[in-house]
Amino acid sequence: MYLTNAEEKALSGERGEAEQIAYRVLVATGKLGDAQKLIPIEWVHVSGVSFLTIGQYGLDFLEKISNSKGAKFKVFTTVNPCGMDIENWKALEIPTDYAEKQLQIIECYKKLGMANSFTCVPFETYKVPPAGTCVAWAESSAAVFGNSILGLRTNRESAISALACALTGKTVYSDLQIPLNRKPSKNIRVNLKKKMDFSGSLNFGVLGFFAGKEVPGVIGFQRVKQKLSLAEAKALSAAIGTLGSSGMFILDSKEKVETIDFTDREFEETMSDLSQSENGEAVVFGCPQMTLEELRDLSNAIQGKHFRKKCIVFCSSMMFERASHEGYVQSIESSGATFVRDACADFTPLISSLKVGSVVTDSVKGAHYMRKVHGVDISLKDTSTIIRENME
Amino acid sequence: MNEIRVRSIVEGKAAGEILFSSQPIAFLQGVDVEGGFVSDKKHEIYLKPFEDKILVFPNAVGSSVGAYVIYRLKKNGKAPRAIINQKADMIIASGCAISEIPLFDLVDGKISELREISKVRVDEKKLVLVEY
Repeated sequence: MYLTNAEEKALSGERGEAEQIAYRVLVATGKLGDAQKLIPIEWVHVSGVSFLTIGQYGLDFLEKISNSKGAKFKVFTTVNPCGMDIENWKALEIPTDYAEKQLQIIECYKKLGMANSFTCVPFETYKVPPAGTCVAWAESSAAVFGNSILGLRTNRESAISALACALTGKTVYSDLQIPLNRKPSKNIRVNLKKKMDFSGSLNFGVLGFFAGKEVPGVIGFQRVKQKLSLAEAKALSAAIGTLGSSGMFILDSKEKVETIDFTDREFEETMSDLSQSENGEAVVFGCPQMTLEELRDLSNAIQGKHFRKKCIVFCSSMMFERASHEGYVQSIESSGATFVRDACADFTPLISSLKVGSVVTDSVKGAHYMRKVHGVDISLKDTSTIIRENME
Repeated sequence: MNEIRVRSIVEGKAAGEILFSSQPIAFLQGVDVEGGFVSDKKHEIYLKPFEDKILVFPNAVGSSVGAYVIYRLKKNGKAPRAIINQKADMIIASGCAISEIPLFDLVDGKISELREISKVRVDEKKLVLVEY
């Protein structure tokens, strides 16, 4: 990979330790796709924010970076949800020692100049640049959504490679940054007898989880509807990212490549992998975090009803404010649900502290991670079924 | 002596016993950071320690935060000596770069050729099969 004089100097340490580490990372990731050069990017989205995922060593690393002389995010940089509601963690009974560590992590990102929200749906939180813009997004669900729905160009960055991009304002010119590479490597053909009308975020989540495991490159879908709702597109993107390595999908693929059928059998098998319980002792919505549109739909759907059990709704504080302005927050809260802002449902100690053996959710990604992280059984159902079965 | 051409992603060299997996690895919530092994019961190298081994697997899958898991393994003293992938990716390359774990992938060979191999030596250019 060609480096300019200035980039070579930064690699040799002349611009401080943080940039030196960042360029070392870029040199390594550049070799992956035989990148010839680094390119400027307009937006970085960084993951690796919850203390549950990065731990003490991750925190030490971030402190080293943020304390390095001159270290700053060079471009607009958003960060993923953290492990708790920053304003309200005490009332939600987050352990103090955990909270202190979480606040130290946040301090590092603030010092480096993060945008002021913790969200895994940055594309619904901030103004999205035109299609074709080069960005560098970690958080697999956002990267897949950005490439596939918004036409942005991003590789599926890791937490560390995105951090390197933010510290330099650059990424490697390879893979999905190059237009020629943005075509399906395998097709997934939806071929279901039982579900002729294939729609809804749960169905698209199950399809995405299967497709992500089957196809490492760009996924070409066949026989799916061409206009996905925001909720469907978000669920599909998140599920592809959960256990896969693909960074993009295309609806209505015409590419003549190997084609895998997604039949009733694959649907049932994927579903039974993810869902073990008939119902859950608590309800969780918002993995990835709820968008304004989803909060509106939820608020409308639960009008006048009350949850019979604990229900937690995850969204960013910015989305909370917007929804509050529209009255959605008030109507959701009056149904007995609790909002948790700026946190990730999968990586907050909150779910473990509920002391329940099972959780019901409409999210495939949430189903996978909540089971792994918190050891709860999962009941995976679509939103309207959850409302019907758990409210009065 | 059999040799396979490799591509060096994170520089370094290593020699040692192979721990082989034909399945990809999800590092976040698929690997035990304290114990240094794959924690998914259905995985073919479930519970087998990475430490001191040359870890061979096709690629990483799952969360972008997996890169931090590689770093935590290294700091815990539970990381492999080196990693050989079929095709390395962002998670592994960035994680290995900050952890100074030598990382290679195979340009034309298949990692399945390493399934029955017990010991190898690997440097920037090639992988030498030491024991069969």
